[in-house]
This record gives sequence, structure tokens and C-alpha cells, in this order.
Amino acid sequence: MSFDSTYTKELPLVENNPTLRQIDDAILLPTQIKPLKGWWIALGLSATALLIGAVALGLTFYYGIGMWGNNQPVGWAFGIVNFVFWIGIGHAGTLISAILLLFRQKWRTGIARFAEAMTIFAVMTAGIFPVIHTGRPWLAGYLIPLPNQNGVWVNFLSPLLWDVFAVSTYFTISFLFWSIGLIPDIALMRDRATTKIKKTIYSVLSLGWTNSNRNWSNYERAYLILAGISTPLVLSVHSIVSFDFAVSVLPGWHTTIFPPYFVAGAIFSGFGMVSTVLIVVRKAFGLQHIITMNHLDTMNKILLATSTMVGYSYMMEFFIAWYSGNPFEMFAFANRVLGPYNWAWSIMVSCNVLIPQLFWFKKIRRSIPVTLVIVLLVNVGMWFERFVIIVISLHRDFLPSSWGIFYPTITDLSLLLGSFGFFFTFLLLFLKTFPLVSISEVKGVTEGAQPTIHLHPHSNGYPKEKA
Amino acid sequence: MRLREEREQEIMDKKDTGNILPASSDENQKEPNYWRSFRELYNDPEFIKERNLEFSKDETSPPDTNSLSRLSRRKFLALMSASAAVAAAGCSNYRDKGVLIPYNSKPESVTIGNPTFFASTCDGCSNACGLLIRTIEGRPIKVDGNPDHPVSKGKVCAIAQASVMNLYDPERLKNPVDRTDKGNPKDIAWGELDEKIIGALKSAAAGGKEISIVANSIISPTAKKVLDDFTVTYPTTKIYSYEPYGSETKNSAWAKCYGAGNYPPVQLDKAKIILSLESDFLISDGNKVEAARLFAEGRDVFTGKEFNRLYTVEGNASLTGLNSDYRLILRTDLIEDFVWCLLNEFLIKQRLSVFASDVNITSKLQNYSLEQFISANNLPKEVIGHLVSDLSKNPGTSIVIGGSLLPESTHIAINLLNEVLGSSKLYSKEKNVHQIPISTPSEIDLLISNLKSGKTGVVIHYDTNPVYDFAKEFGYADALKNAPLVITMAHIINESADAGNYVLPLNTMFESWGDFQPRNTFFSTQQPVIAPLYNTRQKEEILLTWAKGNKDAFKADLYHQYLMDNWKATVLSEFKNEAKFNNAWSAALNDGVVMSKSVASDVPMQFKNEAVASLNSRMTKNGDFVLLLTKSSTLGDGKHANNGWLQELSHPVTKVVWDNYAAISTQTSKSLGVDVNDLVKITTSSGELEIPVFIQPGIAEGVIAITSGYGRTVCGVVGKDAGFDSNKLLSKGTKLSPYLNNDVKVEKSSGSYDVITTQDYYPFDEPFYKDIQYEREIIQEGTYLQYKSDPDFLRREIHGEAKEEELEYGSINKQYKHTGVKWGMVIDLNKCTGCSECAAACNVENNIPIVGKDQVKKRRMMQWIRLDRYYSGTPEVPKANFQPMLCQHCDFAPCENVCPVAATTHSTDGINGMAYNRCVGTRYCSNNCPYKVRRFNYFNFRDRFRDGIQLEESYSLMANPEVTVRSRGVMEKCTFCLQRIMDERQVAIQENRMVKGSNVKTACQEACNSNAIYFGDQNDKDSDFYKFNNSNLGYHVLDDVKTKPNVTYIAKLKNVFETEKSEAHN
Amino acid sequence: MIKNLINKIKEFDSSADVEKRSNKLFGFAALYNTPNEVIEAAASVAGKGYQKFDAYSPYPLHGMDSAMGLGKTKVGYFAFTFGITGTFLALLMIGWMNGIDFQNIIGGKPFFSLPPSIPITFEVTVLLTGISATLGMLIIFNKLPKINSPLNDTDFMKNVTSDKYGIVINADDELFDENDTKNLLLSTGAYSIDNIYYRESNLTTKTPIFEKKFIMAIILTAIATAVISYFTLNWVLYDTQPFDWMWLQKRIDSQSESNFFPNKFGMREPVNGTVARGFMPYEYKGMPDSMVKLLSNPLPISKKVLERGQDRFNIFCSPCHGYQGDGEGRLRGQFPKPPTLHSEKVRNWTDGNIYHVITNGQNVMPSYAEQVSRDDRWAIIHYIRSLQRSHNASDSDLPK
Repeated sequence: MSFDSTYTKELPLVENNPTLRQIDDAILLPTQIKPLKGWWIALGLSATALLIGAVALGLTFYYGIGMWGNNQPVGWAFGIVNFVFWIGIGHAGTLISAILLLFRQKWRTGIARFAEAMTIFAVMTAGIFPVIHTGRPWLAGYLIPLPNQNGVWVNFLSPLLWDVFAVSTYFTISFLFWSIGLIPDIALMRDRATTKIKKTIYSVLSLGWTNSNRNWSNYERAYLILAGISTPLVLSVHSIVSFDFAVSVLPGWHTTIFPPYFVAGAIFSGFGMVSTVLIVVRKAFGLQHIITMNHLDTMNKILLATSTMVGYSYMMEFFIAWYSGNPFEMFAFANRVLGPYNWAWSIMVSCNVLIPQLFWFKKIRRSIPVTLVIVLLVNVGMWFERFVIIVISLHRDFLPSSWGIFYPTITDLSLLLGSFGFFFTFLLLFLKTFPLVSISEVKGVTEGAQPTIHLHPHSNGYPKEKA
Repeated sequence: MRLREEREQEIMDKKDTGNILPASSDENQKEPNYWRSFRELYNDPEFIKERNLEFSKDETSPPDTNSLSRLSRRKFLALMSASAAVAAAGCSNYRDKGVLIPYNSKPESVTIGNPTFFASTCDGCSNACGLLIRTIEGRPIKVDGNPDHPVSKGKVCAIAQASVMNLYDPERLKNPVDRTDKGNPKDIAWGELDEKIIGALKSAAAGGKEISIVANSIISPTAKKVLDDFTVTYPTTKIYSYEPYGSETKNSAWAKCYGAGNYPPVQLDKAKIILSLESDFLISDGNKVEAARLFAEGRDVFTGKEFNRLYTVEGNASLTGLNSDYRLILRTDLIEDFVWCLLNEFLIKQRLSVFASDVNITSKLQNYSLEQFISANNLPKEVIGHLVSDLSKNPGTSIVIGGSLLPESTHIAINLLNEVLGSSKLYSKEKNVHQIPISTPSEIDLLISNLKSGKTGVVIHYDTNPVYDFAKEFGYADALKNAPLVITMAHIINESADAGNYVLPLNTMFESWGDFQPRNTFFSTQQPVIAPLYNTRQKEEILLTWAKGNKDAFKADLYHQYLMDNWKATVLSEFKNEAKFNNAWSAALNDGVVMSKSVASDVPMQFKNEAVASLNSRMTKNGDFVLLLTKSSTLGDGKHANNGWLQELSHPVTKVVWDNYAAISTQTSKSLGVDVNDLVKITTSSGELEIPVFIQPGIAEGVIAITSGYGRTVCGVVGKDAGFDSNKLLSKGTKLSPYLNNDVKVEKSSGSYDVITTQDYYPFDEPFYKDIQYEREIIQEGTYLQYKSDPDFLRREIHGEAKEEELEYGSINKQYKHTGVKWGMVIDLNKCTGCSECAAACNVENNIPIVGKDQVKKRRMMQWIRLDRYYSGTPEVPKANFQPMLCQHCDFAPCENVCPVAATTHSTDGINGMAYNRCVGTRYCSNNCPYKVRRFNYFNFRDRFRDGIQLEESYSLMANPEVTVRSRGVMEKCTFCLQRIMDERQVAIQENRMVKGSNVKTACQEACNSNAIYFGDQNDKDSDFYKFNNSNLGYHVLDDVKTKPNVTYIAKLKNVFETEKSEAHN
Repeated sequence: MIKNLINKIKEFDSSADVEKRSNKLFGFAALYNTPNEVIEAAASVAGKGYQKFDAYSPYPLHGMDSAMGLGKTKVGYFAFTFGITGTFLALLMIGWMNGIDFQNIIGGKPFFSLPPSIPITFEVTVLLTGISATLGMLIIFNKLPKINSPLNDTDFMKNVTSDKYGIVINADDELFDENDTKNLLLSTGAYSIDNIYYRESNLTTKTPIFEKKFIMAIILTAIATAVISYFTLNWVLYDTQPFDWMWLQKRIDSQSESNFFPNKFGMREPVNGTVARGFMPYEYKGMPDSMVKLLSNPLPISKKVLERGQDRFNIFCSPCHGYQGDGEGRLRGQFPKPPTLHSEKVRNWTDGNIYHVITNGQNVMPSYAEQVSRDDRWAIIHYIRSLQRSHNASDSDLPK
């Protein structure tokens, strides 16, 4: 019996082995040429979406949250669904960078930078919603423990407050992680810059970084520390987001499985979105030899794994509901399958659990169009997962007398659209301004990039001891 | 500097020469030499030098500007003034705190910030309940019942509760309007108006033309006197009195059976067995306030009194029916047969009373048999068995009540049945009085024919709206066109006013004087609590002015004086002395009621057998459909349609707001092929109506029930086009009764219309939902027998054999203990009938906005109390439970834990409070509330509803100044009427004592007609409340969630023959 | 106009004037082709004992630290310190805010407990660790930003950021010697060595931030923003809904004006002739004293009542009648002196008589019906009686 060698041997991370300068040229190309037509179209679309969202937001501020579909039993709907959805997406980035860095997974270099950027924009998008979903957004400052005219402090028992801390921390750390990663590349751009303005901007942004080794060693240590703390951070953030629900008394929310379940889901959706965008980008910017098929393959494997975890959580929820014998729990979950929203539930299950199982087949994993379709479905499915958890649990809770139904309004939908516009606008601008792959890291993992000898200071250069 | 040195140098040189003597020269001696000093005298050269250099160089040279400060004086002043200006402007921009306007001389009765109460009488309907009007600084803000009133005993209905809004309604008529020129109605001064009308009246009287006054039933003796005076002045006057959705047939039947008078009040509290035939006496039929109270007195577990038992036989699914112990569903037009069958049972079979020997009667009963009837209409045999035995076993303590909408023949049969059962003992000795007899249909026909034939000169709508009220088959609207002069007195523009020439704005009851005698045993007074807000008058004084025949007769207190004079002459005639009378009169106003000296006559009423004997026309089953027009419990006959609070008060059974509908059963909907909200076309001999369908569990097949009062076409913006005009289907009532018709054609029509409920019901017979309210321990109930045999059965069911102290479950960390006062509420579900009086009162007390139909549809009701209605059984034969649901003020409130800004926290006296101004409006608390009793201001509803009509200035007078008006984006909920608790606290502090629980009454508690709500201090061991709170029937909703609510519900006991709860509800 | 501007910018953009270099030597920069070469070079340079030198590479070279003989970096300890501080700060904050400073009963739970504080503590720890690690690395350890480092925009830098490796030996190293150092570098196989000179700007110590103009500008903008935000906030927070903290209420508070009524009186007078609950009109109003004989004092005498009476008397009566009721009030001389309450006449009055006077007023004395509640009037009468008795006490009054 013979193994298919691709499973055993480490695949080349950078294909057909270019010189360092070729790498520079390849990666920096998009930042130097004039934008392509396709880019303009994409920007136009996302900007329009963003505009629509802005108008909806304006209406919401002017008239109040009533513009949304939320109502008496369903106090949270699209607002929080979108929030959790985007936070989830924000997880792949830091996860890829941090955890894979700690595990010394070299293949991360191809996609890390891009994923981190996505994290930041996703978290920015997510961060909008908790603020605008409040009835009096202009008082959102009350959520921060500052002295105020009421003399009262925030309530540290509330998971929503934990959210505030978690999300802001997560954004800050991710941003630092991303931006110090950028410094050496910006230094490179600075030195390649031909015109004065560019040069000045880049030299300011690069803080006058000189690739000196003394700096490198501090830099690497700091980078490692950030990776080290981001890993638990990533896990904590979505756990805390899940506390919003797990800590409540509502059947369907009040579950101990939520933290791991949410984290798995977050990674799942995160990778889904990353590959969705990467597949397009690597084509558009001709980076197939840097973001290789092997990258996609590995990510699809992770998708498969997380999808299975998510599926397990779904089953476990139902089991526990039945096992608890608690009538409220039982009804809540029966209601997901049989109730008026069962279509949402079936979308969720099919997109998140059933369809990704196709990734067991290598052919599908390595076929770009199929992957694209599947990951798109994964995004849809994960959005509906949050919808199922939040809306379906709320709309029929303890007292049948207060049962209700939720219909989204135009405002809801345009805000959802706007959130995508917001995200992609930033993403497109990033693609044009900064190298979307970490050049210095890629160089570091090319063939023969690292020295083959190991020396200590010595008075005479010879004879050398081999490392 | 250098110069000075040189000079010194020279001086030194001089010294060396030694020549210091003055140089004397001849030419110097020519003129006298004036010298100032010796040195000058001697021409001291050094002095001369000094003199030349009087100013040294540095002093004479111009100053060096660079060495000076940059900041010149001018610049400094400029800066100072600028900053002063900024500061001034800044301070001027601080919030405008407004001005204080104190009383010039404070009235003795008013203490600023404290309420003052006035006893008065409600004129919302002919029951004339006593009111106690709460005013703050002279502004009425709340209406409650007058506890001294013999009938209403301190309770009023929802209409009265919400009536404050009628006073402050910005759409009230503010001036008399002359609409003679329909094109441009113009305001007209009272004086001018009076002159014109008096002229017209005189000429009409002279010309022998009829002056028709169309009035509702007159129950005010003084108003009667005014009308008499008017008739004296204008002899051709004729007064027509009608009572929409009244009890004409009942009264006429009574008159036939007992010679004269009206159907008397019934002493329900004395009744053991009550059989209600199509009568919704708990909410809309007759005097609801009294009936609910008396009925509930018969169901009080705390008095230890034997429970009464309520049987209902009805086609409609009425609140009374759903509250009853046994409910039989029977097509309404079969009810009469049912009564005859019962009579047959008692007279022929059991030969119960003297009537058994009366052949004229028994002959009529021959061809009725209960058994056949039961099998024909497959009624539950054993229940009828219980009914028959109960009725025959309880002579004198059982009563049969027929619904007002039943035809006269049925009522005669019912009266006979009551006689047979000896139930006539339960008829109260006091009599319902109408000062002017209600006009019969023939009299109304006469009015119309007079109009048509031009015999009528003037028509006066005496605060009535006959164009809307009268059955269309009278053709009143057309006839009115022939009237030369139509005068309408109204509060708000209405259909009749629209058709008339002059519209006269009226005072509301808060601005009027008056007296009422709804029953012969007492008089009640009405006094204004605020001067008229607009240029309005009260109807009596308008007529009085005309009766006096000149416009100058009008004075501000014309009717006030007239009223006092009349009382001096009649009611208080024994007080001859001025001071004595004034005292008595003031006492009357203070109390609001005066018991009349003419005590109830004790002569036994003699039943006239010939009433039955001569009975020929009978109600018999006919056609596929029976149409019931029932009186709305909120809008009444439609007079109150412009009151948003009432429009938004959901129907007690169907929970529909802002609309009426054709309620039909599931089978009927199937046979018609219609679903909820589909329009159907209903055609009767008197008219046709397109109306949406609402499928109501428990309605008899073929029965179509429509509530009255909706579909006003000419009205304020609030009530206009809300619902459908059921009066189009009213008949003259010659055949059965105006409100009952079994000669109806119903067909599906195209299109649909949204009927909005605040609580839509699920398919409650499917296993998925079946009995969910019992499984979840939301509703706990048992049977009365079970309770008597084992008072602790419920506690055992819930907690097993656990002891009190074992129930105190622990926790991982120590919990807060409320020592001292701890507020709590007890709601007795045995007494609660599910009428929404409490919600109505809460709206007024707590400044709750109207949100409008569209927002209710989105489920954004703002009312703090929800009347939950749960069905069990099957859609054909449902059981229902009612439960008021308000904030439970849980000790372990889930809402508090999750609020990120600590906007909702617990007070030390156990109240779950909301700091409105801290709330940022994450609706997390609402999500986490198991009872879903929190309400969120999704909009500024005041601004949103009907183009911000609630922002009108007049409404801000109505708002309770002790309660914050919440802005948009804020969460709110029941506060246990915190403001009232604070009042008690203030008093306690002044009187230097502890706060006493029994001194605080919440608004809902005050309003509850059946006294089902108790409020008090849970830690006050020796209070009544403590007993209620720890009753062995008490339970907490959703006990398993362990939120430790402070609202305790007393489990409902059904007074049925089964001894097991399970059988009781399925 | 705009065209010109654009052209100007373009012009400026394309003007490739590199900053003039001084003739002060910064150091020698040697370039190498392969990582191994540079490692060897670094090793031998370090071996020679040079301190102020550094190696440069487009990406971190593994093993370069040891070749250069560098110690471990301290970034870790730095971040750790801050992280721990974060932990304690967070716990302190939560404990003080919810446990001590403002105690709220929330869901019946203790004011402070550890479990719910853990998430936030963790987040704050992470936050401080991350920030300190990053900023510490950049500013404290790597001395960044130094945009105008002499090495920047040199060909050397252009090479080492892209694909070459280099070593720079600073001129201020004590071993530095133009020839030896150059030879050393040549011996390590550098393919090019060039001299890096300081920039002009490196030699001048002046920092632009302390320019007087700069500071003035900052202060002015601060003032401007302060003033503007002050006015706008005043306008927004007090005059515009819904930002006004529910200051504008749709209701009429006590003694406030109402635009509904033409005379703006929010508080209304009761209608003439009406009777409020418990306020029966005083029936003898305006009648002569003779008629009020019947009126008798309903209040029983008790210490409480007397104290209440004294209290009210001292407030309402004493200004004219004096604390003793002898007419020696504080308003002596400003008003006609009232007759003493101890006169024969007043002592023989019935209580009703006095009540009548208080309620109705007589001569100069106005009615006190508004100010003094009915019970209080009777309480005052009791007190007056006790005053009278005290002033004309008889032996019988003496305690035995």
C-alpha cells in the first residue's frame, strides 16, 4: 500500500522558488501600479452598499430603534446577529497569525497578513452594532467605567460589559499585531519609493525602521509575546460573546456548551470568509505561487474540522435539552425544528454541517470553484446560526402569552448590507495601500533564506564550525 | 553719561586754576542783576554748565518701546471684555429653568404637590357610578370610584378610568359652530346663537311645529325638570329617549310580567347557583361594576364563604362564559327552547311550584322535552343533570340571568323560570329608574314620519348621535334632511353634528354640575373639578337659557343655582334654614351621594301568568347563521371612540385592539371557506356590512358576534375609521330584538383586513402546545371540592412534602435579605375576571402613551399590565384562564444582573427599580425577563402616533406630575406605583412612624372591580396582606426559574363536581 | 488655480533632493550576498571586540544573535510587569466601584464577588501586556522612531531591506579605526563597503516640538474647541430632544407655567361652590361670633396635640401675638399691637369663638384658613388655653 505523498511530505511554501527581489516585485506590484478596472468596480459596489447602510443608520438615529423589526419578545435581532457574525469572522485572522505562529506553522506566512487585516476590519464592523443597537446611542459612554453625573458605576456582573472590554481589547491587540507586522514591509516600500511624498509618508509609517539585527531580535520577541497573549484572547473573546447568551436564563441561551461552541463556530466562519476573499484576491493579483493551492487545501481541512465540531455542538444542544427534562429547554429546541422559523434552522444545519462534509474528498478540497461555493454557503450558514440562536430562542420563551414573531424591516436589511459594504471598502483600500502578504516573513521561509551555519563570536574567522 | 564725566573733569580743571571769584564786568552793571543763588550771582561756570544741561541725555531721549511689555493697556482691556462677553454668552445659554407661578391666594383644599379629591358622578352610561376625582393643583388627572357610593362601592369601569382623556382631548369642540352653510362652517358666539335659536324655537312653537329632543335615557331629576320647563315654554316639544345597546326587551318583558317598572338589580352575592343565558354580565351587560363585585364576593377563599357556581349557556364566547364553571355552547336562537325545556322539566316533571297547576302555562310546555333537546343538540348530559339538580335543590338562592340582547319572549320565559325556582327573592328591592320612559320603535318611527312630513320644526340632539346610533332601517339620516333646523350638542364632532345646522360644544363631566338618580334609593351629585377649558356650556344650562326665552338669562352659575334650588325643593326639602341647607348641600357634594328618604317598597311583586299565556311569538331556530351585536366593553355605544386609551385596551377575550370583527367558530369558517382577516359580507333585512373574520374558539356553530361602537365615520383623528359600523346591521327589533338576528346571509367577500391582537393564540389542542400553561406552572388550578377536602393540596403539588424552611434554597454566595418593609402583591385568580380595568387605570396613573395599531401589530404595546388569556381543551370546546401579568419585582431579578449600566437595580424595600436616565436601551433586561413584562420605547410614541397628537399642550395637563414621561430609547415597566409608596413614606416621616403597607394602594388595586388585587408589606406579620401572601393556595409563576417573584397568585378553584384538578381542565 | 496647485505638488513630489550629509563619519557599511557570509562576518567583528556594530538583513536571520554575541532581549520582563499591574488594577477597580463606592443590590447578589470579575481582569491584563510589549519594543528597546537615521535613504539600506545582508560598524566605537576596520570588513568578504556620514539634521539638537509657534497653535485650538463644544453641548443637552436627559417633560409640575391657559397658570383654582373631599366649607363664614357658640373642639387634649399647637402657634401666631400670647410680638410697631389673649374677654370665649376668628379673621387679622389646617387650628386653641391657664394660674393648678 502506498501513501499519497502529498499527505506526508511538507509542500513548498513558495512555489517555483523566486529570488527575494522577485518576491518584492510580485507582492508590491498592486501597491505600485494604477488600480485595475475590476478594483474600481468592486470599490464602487462596496461603497454603494456602505452608503445604503449609512442612510439606514441615519434613519435609525433620527426616528429610533423602532425602525428595526425588534419587538416585545424579540428585543435583539439583526443588530446583535450581525455583531456576533462579524466578531466571528474576525477570529480567523488572529487565530491564523497567532496560533499558527506558536505552532511554528510556516505556511501561515502566505495568508497571515491578509487574515489579520480582515480581523481588524471585521471587528471594526462588529463594533458598530452594539453601539447603534442601543436605544440611546449618544449615551453609549455609560458603558465605560467613568465618573458621571449619576455617580453610579457600571455593573460588572453584566456580560454585555465584559463584551465591551473583550471586544475593545481584541481590537487593540489585533491592530498592534498587524501594524508591527507591517513595519519592516513599509520600510522596504520606503526604500523602493521613487517620489518624495510617498517616501515621506512611508518613512513616517515605518518609524525609520532599519533592519538591524538588534531591532530584529526585540521585534521577534515582542511579536512572539503578542502571539502568545492573542491566542487565549481569541478564545476568550468569543467565549465572552457567548456569555451574553449563556449567562441569561432564556431557554436556548442558557447553555454551558456555548463558549467552546461559539469559538469553534467563530473559527469556522472566520476561515470561511478568509478563503472566500483569498480565492478572489490571489487570482486578481496573480499571487497563485505565494498563496498556493496547498494553503487553500489546508484551510479547507480546518473548515472541515471546525464544521464537524459545530455539528457536534448542535447535536449536543438537542441531547442536553432532552436529557435535562426541562420543559422550557425541550420546547425551545423542538421549536427550532418545528416552529415558524424552522426554515432558518434547516439553512443553518445544511450550510454549516452537511455541505462542508464534501471536503472529505481531496478533489473538492483542491477545486477552486467548488471551494468558493462551499465557503460562501458557510458564511450564509453561520449568519443564520446566530439568527437561530438569538431570534428563535427569544420569540417563544417562558410565557406563551408573550410569544411573538419577528419580521426584519428594510432598515434591518440595508444595515446588514451596509456592514458588508463597510468591511469590503476597507479591505479594498488595504489591498491597494499595503502588501497583502508579509514580505519579510515570506522571504524568511524561501529556500536557502536561513543560514546553514551556527557561530559564536571568535577572533579569527577560520576554521568555521558547522552548525 | 559721558558728558557728565567730562563736566566733572572740567570742574576739576577749574579748581586747579583757583579762580573762583565772580568776574565783574561793566556792561553787566547796566541793568540790575537778579540772582537766585550766590553761585549764580558769582556766575559760577560750573553752575552755568549745569543750567544748560538741566535735563541729562537719557531723560530727554524718547522711551525705548522694546523694553516695554508687549501687552498694551488697550489690548488687555480688549481681551478682558472679549472673555467677559464669552462668559456672559455662555451662561446665558444654560438650560432655561422656566418661571415659578404660585397661587395668588391658595385655596384651602389645595396643598401644592398633594392630590385633592372631589366626589362626583360619571355620565359615561346610564349606570351613573360614583366618582372620586383625583386632582393635583386643580387639574383632574385620575378618576376612581367613590367608596361611599351604594352601587359602585368605590369602583368604576375602564370607560370612566380613561375619561380624563375625553376632558383634555385636543379635538374637543371649542366653540359653537354654525354649519348652515355646509361649505364653510364658522364659529359663532353663544349670545348670537341663543338669539337665533330662541327665535326659531318660538316660531316653531307658534307654528305648531314639533320640537323633537332626541336624548339618551334621562336619569337626572333636575335635568328632567329642565326639560319640563322647556316643554312649558315650547309646548310643541316632544322628547325621544333611547339607550343604544340597552336592555329594552328585558324591561318590556319585566313590565309585561310584573305590571310595571324595569328589570331590577340582582343580588348576585346571595346567589349560590347562577345560570347565565347569553349574558355577559361580568363585562358589558347591565351594571358591570356592581355585578363583577357581587359575583367575586361569592368566590372569595379568604372569607370562607361557600363558592357560588356559574353555569353559562351561550352561543357567543363571552368573558362571563369563559369564567364560568360549566359552559354549554348553544346556538343563541335555541336558548328560548332550552328555557322552555327547563320549565317543562320543573313544572311538568317535578311539578315544582304553583304554576304547575296553571293550565295556560303547562299547556304551552307540552311539546318540549329536555332529553330530546339534549340529544338533538348533543349537549353534555351530565352537566345538564347537575344544572337541573342544582337549580331545584337551591330554591331562592339560584338565579337565571338572560342577556339583554335576547328577545322579549325569552325574557318572559326566564322570568317565569325564576318565579318557578323561587329566585325572585334575589331581585333587589331597589328599582332602576328612568326619568323619561325609553321610546319604543313605533315612537321613533313617529319621529321619522314627522320629519318626513315636515311636521317637525326643530330637532335637538341632546348629546346624542342618532345618525350613527339608530338602526339604518329607520332611515333617520335621510329624514333629517327635511328638518329646517337641526341642533346638535356634542363634545366631539360626530355624524349627527355633521348633518345638522348648529353644533354646540358641551362641557365634559369634569366641568359640569348635575345630579343623578339611577335607582330609587339614592341620589348622587356631580360637581365640576375644573372650570371649562374651552368656550363650552353644559347641556342643561343651554336648554335652561332657551327655556327662559332670552339669551341674557344665561349666567355662569345658572345651572348650579337651578340645581341647588331644585334640591332645596325636593331632595333636601327638610332643611328650611339657609345655613342648614348650605351645610346639607355641601355635605351632599362632599359625599357625592344622598340616600333618598323614600325607602324601597317591600310589596312582593306579583307575576302575571297571562304574560306567558298570551305569549304567541317565539324565538325559533332559523337559517344557518345567528348574528349577535354585543356591546363593546371599552367603547360602549361608540361615544368614546375618540379615546385612544380605550381603543388600545384589548378586548378581554379576543385581545383585539383598534377594531371590531365578525367572530365565528372554526367550523363556520370552514363552511364559509374563510380564514382570519378575510372579509365577509353580512346581509340582513336592515342592511349589509363587509367585515373581517376572527376565528374565536368556543363560539357556537353559525353564530356571528360583532361588538358595537366602531366604524365611526365622523369623529376625531383617533377614532375615525377604526373598525366597522355594526349599527348598519341593527334592526328595529320588531322581530326578535334589535341586537339579535337569525335571518342573515353571510358570504365570503374579496380582500382581507388586518385584525390585530395583543396576544395571538396557537393551535392549543396540538400535542406540541397542549396544556402548556399547566405544564409550565404558569396557571395552577384545582377544584373547590378538592380545596375543601385538602386545603394544602396545591402546596403539596408544587413543593411535595417539603417544610417551609426547606423551601429556602441556598446559593453559592450569600444573598441580600430584605429586612424592614418589603412590598409585595397578591392577585386572586378566583376573583379576577380578566376585564382590563387594571390596565386602564395603570395607563392613566403612569403616563403610558398610545402607540397605535401599527405598533401593536409589531408587538410594541406599552401597557404595564398584560391580561394573559390561556386556552386549553379544543377550539370547539375551549377552557380559558385569565391572569394579569405585571413586573414580578423578583428578589433575584434576572433583568438586573444583565444591565451593563446598573440602570435597573433593587431597592432595599424589595422593588425592582428603573433609573430611566441611566438606561441606554440595550434591551438585554427585556430579553432576560422570563415574564416579558418590560416595555421599551422603540419610538417617541407620543410624537409618532397620529402626527404627534399626544404632544398637544392639553395632554400635558393630563399627565401625572409624579411620574416621569419617558423618552424614546428607554426601558420601562411596572413600578408598583412607586410614587404612591413615596407619598406614604413622606406622610410616615411627617407623622414620625414606620411606613405601613396597608396605607398604600396601587392604581390597579384601586381599579379592580372584583377586589382581586392586594398590595402590602410582606414582612408585616400582623397585616391582612400577610395572610393573603402566605395563603396555601398561593403560588409563584415559573417557580422553577427561581427568580423569587414578589407577586403571588392565588390558584383558581373551579366549583365543579370533579374533585381532581386534571379533570377540571380537560 | 487648482491645476497650478497640482502642478506644484507634482513638482515638489518629483524633486529628488536628498538631504545634505555632513562630513562627520557615522560608520562603515559592508554588504554581503549570502546569510552565511554575514553570519561569519558578524561573528568575527564581534570576536574582534567591537561593541557598536550591527548586522542588517531583509528578514530576521536565525543564529545572528549568537554570532553577534547578543544577550537575551528584555522585552518579555517589561511586558510581564505591566501585565501583572493590569491584573491588580482591574480587580481593584471592580472591587472599589461595585463593592465600596456605589453599592447596588443587583439580583440579590453580593456587592463584590470574584467569578464575574474574572473576564474583565483577564482582558485588562492582556491589554496592558500587549500595549507594553509593542510600545516597549519600539520606543524603549529599539529607540524608534528615528526617521532621520543616517542609514536611511542610503544605497546600503535599499539593499538590506530588499535582498542583501550587511554589517555597519559605528565610528564612535572605541576600537574603530578607519583602516583596521575597513580591512576587517574586507577580510570578512564584503563585496562593497561605503562610508555613511551623519545628516546635517542629526548634528543639530533642536526639536521642532518645542517651537513657540507650535505650542501657541495647540493652545489656541484647545481654547477654540473648548468654547465651541461648550456652546453646542449646552444647546444639544438642554434644548433638544431626545438628548435632554428627559429634561423637557410633557407634564405640568407644581407652580410651573402652562402655555395651554392664556394666563399661563399651571395651577388652577377649584370652581366656586364645589366641595373637595374633607373640606366642608366653614359654615359660619362671615357670620357674627354670636352664632358659633355650638362649635366645640373635636381634638382631645394630649401632649402630642399641645406640642403641635405650640409649634403652629409659634410659627403663625407669635409674630403678632408674641410667644406668650400677650401681644408682644416681633412685629411690634409695624402693625397695630393686637390685644392680649389673656384678657377676660378672650378667656371667656368659647373654643368655637377663637376658631371662628382664626378661620374668618377679624379687624386687621386676616383669615388663616389657607395656611393653618383645620386640626391645627383646634390644636392651636388648646395651646392658647394652656397659655391662658399658665398666665392666670390658681393654687389648684400647683402640683400637690
